[in-house]
Amino acid sequence: MIRIVAAFALCALSLIPLLWMVATSLKPPAEYVSTSIALWPQDPTLAHYRVLLDSGMWRLGLNSVVVALGTVALSLLAGLPAAYALARFELPKRFDVVFLGFVLVIKLAPPIALAIPLYQVLRALGLLDTHLGLILANQILALPFAIWMLLGFVRDVPYSFEEAAMLDGAGFVKRLLQIVVPLLMPGLVATAVFVAIMSWNEFLFALLFIQTPSKFTLPAFIATLINEDETLWGRLSAMGLIASLPVLLAVGLVRRGLTREVSVDQH
Amino acid sequence: MTASRRLLPWLLLTPALLIFAGLTLYPLGRTLALSLFATDYGFENAKFVGLENFQELWDSRFFRQAVTNTVVFTVVATVLEVAAGLGLALLLNRAFPGRTLVMTLLLAPFVLSTMVVTAIWRAWFHFDLGFLNNLLRAVGLPGVPWLFDPNLALWSIVLVDLWQTAPFAFLIIFAGLRLIPQDVYEAARVDGAGPWRRFRDMTLPLLAPYLFVAALLRSVDSFKLFDKVYAMTGGGPGQATETVSMFVYRQGFRFFDIGLASAAAVVMIVVAGLLAVVYAASLLKGAGR
Repeated sequence: MIRIVAAFALCALSLIPLLWMVATSLKPPAEYVSTSIALWPQDPTLAHYRVLLDSGMWRLGLNSVVVALGTVALSLLAGLPAAYALARFELPKRFDVVFLGFVLVIKLAPPIALAIPLYQVLRALGLLDTHLGLILANQILALPFAIWMLLGFVRDVPYSFEEAAMLDGAGFVKRLLQIVVPLLMPGLVATAVFVAIMSWNEFLFALLFIQTPSKFTLPAFIATLINEDETLWGRLSAMGLIASLPVLLAVGLVRRGLTREVSVDQH
Repeated sequence: MTASRRLLPWLLLTPALLIFAGLTLYPLGRTLALSLFATDYGFENAKFVGLENFQELWDSRFFRQAVTNTVVFTVVATVLEVAAGLGLALLLNRAFPGRTLVMTLLLAPFVLSTMVVTAIWRAWFHFDLGFLNNLLRAVGLPGVPWLFDPNLALWSIVLVDLWQTAPFAFLIIFAGLRLIPQDVYEAARVDGAGPWRRFRDMTLPLLAPYLFVAALLRSVDSFKLFDKVYAMTGGGPGQATETVSMFVYRQGFRFFDIGLASAAAVVMIVVAGLLAVVYAASLLKGAGR
């Protein structure tokens, strides 16, 4: 009994900052710029949301969506064939071990350590200050993750299914598209969701490689709000809530997969 | 047929290899090379200076401060997060009604954008109107200068990091806890071992590899600390929360001392490489079990 009460109490405690954000996004300034500890607004208002929408914030949300979709698409298009090759073929000189070791190093390397030359690469390609450039930069984290995760899922697809199709004369592409991909759907969806969340929350590359304010993703925009005026809390909270909702919904849907991601991390 | 079969895997790997070559290997090599030059952009007009940049780092009071802050933050945050993760895992180990809900809700802070997290906590830390000081004053205590006191600012950021990422440590440790066979405990209970003895002599040793992995992954991540500092304190007050990542950012993207920034980046890569070796060794040990 004590255990249950403690668990729920801790859970509630850890959610207070989120509750504060939801409540503040609905408070008129007089209520949040105060010394009151009342969480819930006396006089709720949607004014902060209206200001954000009127100031064209939805376009920044669209930027985040475009970058997330692009990051997911590229990491799956490049990652699925790579994962398939690593899972199904005997590669010379333990290429798979070398490859997975390399992936590990990238995972552990600080992104800022690659940022300077990456800036120069994107500039040389004419991709600085473009969403395509950011999508490419995001691959540094997204692609190793996608390959690592898809590798496990491909190994779970029985090879005998493919062999049966081969006897029926199905070529490689046909096998991949008609057997492997459909069986892999849950894994592809889970991988896509995690890569999307990763991209949605990514801040450093967005800060360094996007310069035009109208091209900002949501985290980069929130950073400007934080530094601009620290008592714009109503607008900031509304923005934070809008940016968090898709992620929270996605995680609610794939919580089981999140546990799997952690076990992928360890093995 | 055989030739095409031999080519097929490489064909499949090509897109991924191209992306890695262009976006990771090349930048990595370029960082190493740039660290040996005095330059404000690329290799044009760059002057080869050998290891002088590293000498300058070594002599730099700011860099040493950034290293100290990063190490202190990493050690303290990692220890607290693993301890909190362990506590949560033990608390949630036994089934009870609503456990799935509690677990899902606990994960919420972990999946939020760090900028959203920072936005919330920067408001909470506000001296005059912040929620934390309002709470303290409501019970008659004085307000705390969370981010303005040089001795306190780094600890305030630790607090935010703890709130955001303890759930991650929890996930790993919880996974390990689920894998401990229950009959081990039955036997110990029959032998008369009390709860503390069972925890100290059985749970803790059996959980050690998971605690280790959680600590390693958390320290790797803490070592990169940038976002929270950037938006919460900008490295201040003074240099009190400056981290190595912030140092690289400032030298590279504010002062355009690319050579010096690259040298600091090389130091980071070397440390990350060492951590990767430790991590790989622990993975291999795990695979051999």
